[in-house]
Amino acid sequence: MDRRPIVLPVLVCLRFLLAVLPLPGQHLLKHDHQLSSPLTSYLRLKEGLWLFDNDVDPYMGGSFHHSPLLLSIFSTIIPPIPIIWAVSDAVGAWALLQLWRARQGFSPYKGTKSTAESLIVSAYLLNPYLLLPSLALSTSTFENAFTLLALMFAAEGRPSSALLAIAFTIHLSPSSILLLLPILMLLVTSPASQLASPRQFQGNLYRMASLFVECMLYWFVLVGAACIMADGGWNWVKASWGASLMLPDLTPNPGLWWYFFTEMFDHFRPFFLMVFSVHLVIYILPICIKFQHDPLYAAFLLIGVLGTFKAYLTLADPGLFLSMMSLFPEVHGCKFFFSFFSPPALTPTDSTDLRHPIVTTLLHLHAALLLPLQHVLWVSEGRGNANFYYAASLVMGMAGGAGFVDACFAGMRIAIGDVKVEGKAQGQGQEVQWEVAQE
Amino acid sequence: MVRGSVWISLAYLLTPSFCLHRLENYKEDLRVKPLRDGRVSTTFSFLTVLEDAVPRHPTTLELPDEPQHYALFPLTLGQILREYAITELHLSLNAGKWNYDDWGHPPEVSVGTGAELWAWMGVNEVMTIDERWSGLRNALSGLFCASLGSLDSRRTTSPVVAFPLSGSTPPFAQHELRHASLASENVCTENLTPFLKLLPCKSRAGLAELLNPQKVFDADWHGMGVHVIWKEGTGVELKLTLQAVFNPVRTSTGKRRDWSLQSLFDRSIEQSCPVANYSSVTVVLPEEKNYQITPQPPVQVDGLAIYDLSSTSDFTIPTNIAMHWSNEHRFQYPMPPLPALTPLSVKRTLHGTTQTRGVLSISVTNNSPQEILAGYLEMIPTLLTLWMHTLKVEINSDTRSMTYSHKMLPLLIIVLRLGDLLSDLKYQPPSPQPNGHLSPSMLQAALTIPPKSTLKISVEVDKAFLKYTEHPPDAMRGWDLPGAVFFPLSKSANDTSSSYNWERIYTPTLLVDLPTPDFSMPYNVIILSCTLMTLIFGSIFNLLTRKWVVVEIKE
Repeated sequence: MDRRPIVLPVLVCLRFLLAVLPLPGQHLLKHDHQLSSPLTSYLRLKEGLWLFDNDVDPYMGGSFHHSPLLLSIFSTIIPPIPIIWAVSDAVGAWALLQLWRARQGFSPYKGTKSTAESLIVSAYLLNPYLLLPSLALSTSTFENAFTLLALMFAAEGRPSSALLAIAFTIHLSPSSILLLLPILMLLVTSPASQLASPRQFQGNLYRMASLFVECMLYWFVLVGAACIMADGGWNWVKASWGASLMLPDLTPNPGLWWYFFTEMFDHFRPFFLMVFSVHLVIYILPICIKFQHDPLYAAFLLIGVLGTFKAYLTLADPGLFLSMMSLFPEVHGCKFFFSFFSPPALTPTDSTDLRHPIVTTLLHLHAALLLPLQHVLWVSEGRGNANFYYAASLVMGMAGGAGFVDACFAGMRIAIGDVKVEGKAQGQGQEVQWEVAQE
Repeated sequence: MVRGSVWISLAYLLTPSFCLHRLENYKEDLRVKPLRDGRVSTTFSFLTVLEDAVPRHPTTLELPDEPQHYALFPLTLGQILREYAITELHLSLNAGKWNYDDWGHPPEVSVGTGAELWAWMGVNEVMTIDERWSGLRNALSGLFCASLGSLDSRRTTSPVVAFPLSGSTPPFAQHELRHASLASENVCTENLTPFLKLLPCKSRAGLAELLNPQKVFDADWHGMGVHVIWKEGTGVELKLTLQAVFNPVRTSTGKRRDWSLQSLFDRSIEQSCPVANYSSVTVVLPEEKNYQITPQPPVQVDGLAIYDLSSTSDFTIPTNIAMHWSNEHRFQYPMPPLPALTPLSVKRTLHGTTQTRGVLSISVTNNSPQEILAGYLEMIPTLLTLWMHTLKVEINSDTRSMTYSHKMLPLLIIVLRLGDLLSDLKYQPPSPQPNGHLSPSMLQAALTIPPKSTLKISVEVDKAFLKYTEHPPDAMRGWDLPGAVFFPLSKSANDTSSSYNWERIYTPTLLVDLPTPDFSMPYNVIILSCTLMTLIFGSIFNLLTRKWVVVEIKE
């Protein structure tokens, strides 16, 4: 039953093939607003590189929002060719696989049950939410890969690599600061699944503080490197990080921010920008406190928050959330993930604690079909108007929210377990049914 | 009668005054030129010269200005020029599209559609150039009843190569240029009336009597201009111009191209302006001699018929100057293809069917047998984002004599020559301004166009998504993109003499169709988005804070 793991190499080769072969509609993907946002768009990356090569400050114009690190890598070391995105996809899939192995307690070098591992790798490489932005050469692929690398290193107990990876992620996309606390918690505890048995946080808080200082050190070094690469200016801070906070570019995307701030009057803009940014941040502490027994699950839930409420959302962000769901078979309950060799923490049943997986799936399906359709109707054909696309983005928001709420519920419900008690009412002789509820 | 007014005007000019007094002289001229497509181009130019005057030194802006006394120079404009220490000012308000191919180069070069304002000012730290530019725009918009106040930093650039100082450079300060244009500005009678008020004789005497708004604004193309230039030996020159291209074929009953001052303007010159030193009507005589011109021109030189209407001349005011082609029954348009009257023909289009992106493409045709070196200037407001890395230059020769066997060779030639077809590319991206907006992006290049060939430049553009409050009331119409400007460049650095026979060429404006949000939706969007976020937040809040209990299911 121990087949050689071949799915990962096969899928990686297919991905490389897709990167190298010229596909018919591939140049159109770069312009699609669902797959790339102004912060991650390939066109803007090329434009920034051209401006940089021609001695014009790329951050002055309001069209380039990428980090100076990307600018320097793509202008000096290697041009932005599609192979890099294929490599990044492969790295992300490998990181997800290692994360699974770390969570299950297997050795990182030798997997056991190939079905689960092949499903996990397929869940990352074949997820259209992740594949299409990668084919559109959106830099969200790099952000996802760095996020997964950070989680992988943290799960394997390698603090410096994890902190460096999360520092890179925060540098590329400042909203990823949400993941810093769960990663610090993960570094001082173990990634093994404790969802079924919640207990108090047993890590060392002082060690967490010292790791935080180390992460800040790495982050400052990156900021310094970026300043040097951007010729000693601070323009890039306003252009790349300030874009997530101030929303200068109102290009439509599947998220909730763009239409809200298009229709907002100038007087209220700063207040609502503050509200939306704070809304992202307030999820950190409650989720980390509630899931202090399983920080990897807390990180997963915060990725769900990012995948719904991020400033410049693309399909890659909910895509990462959905792909990471495969790491938690105790929650989604798919039977192909279980084996005879599973650790006892997993419940070997086929049941799932997700309340409404069908609803979430269908909402995602609706959103994925409606978003490109309404976009084309609005801007290309002129038969619809902006409200059509806004409605589709609201469906996407509902889909992301449904998935997030579902996962949160399931993560807590699994701790309660099934109610096997059937009490007998006194004197009646009838069986009484009990159920678990919240009040 | 005429001599009496001459004596009066001379006495007026020589009257001493207590204030600083300068000699002023005033000249007016009307130039009429029949065009080959039956139209008639008329150019009024009213030139007032304030002799030995110097533009105000910008460092004296903190102190009150010394009193200025003008006899002929308009006080309102003079006050504006002194208030903001303007050295050179050009304002043009045009409507229509100047057809360079059929009408040639215009006598006054600023023919860009809409309002175009540019000024050279000396640098000063106390009152900065941008403050003075803002004051100038508002003052001129009040003076001319034009919405020049909206030419703010979103439309202001500084293209010093294309718009150099026309006069002399004052030695007292470093000068900077501010240029802005508004292509959607409409020109109407409210702009003509204050324009005429700047003339010494207003519209009561002299050539300005002809300016009938109902006829002028019915013309196929019309535009007025205000140009203030300082020339070192001469002084401050104010030139007010009004150009109009009439179409007698359209307005006449028999589709004839005969014109007369009465038929064009529906007015006649009753009396000449007494304070004008020189007043004339110049008619450019057509090349074919099948016309008759009445009255007989007293002076005919260089293909020009000059009628001197000054009050000092002996010539009696003619009631009407007319030209007719009696042998023609009705005007026959010359059959195309016609040779272009200008050496360069330019065309600019915006391709694309979607409201998100398009391709801006410019095609420049060199009709002359010599190579032309021209500068290309594009000032694009931030509603279009240029993707400069997609800039492509193509050369398409008119002579298609390449045979199949040489197909590879021309490709090589094309590759080698692209580098010097477009050189000196300077791109200035939009820069953030103090009022939070972005300035326009400026693209300048030097084009070398080989003889008898067409150069095509194309660049991909992205259309911006504007905020709700940034859209104009008629948002569905779109935005006007100001025309690109082509200007002559000298081949070598020491060849700076203006030996060109053309000064600037403007391309027509383009309409950019931007995607609009739904303007009825602010409240709905806020409540729907906030509801969704609150529902999710509330669900999570409930999940995280409630405690789990086991309850009995009642049957």
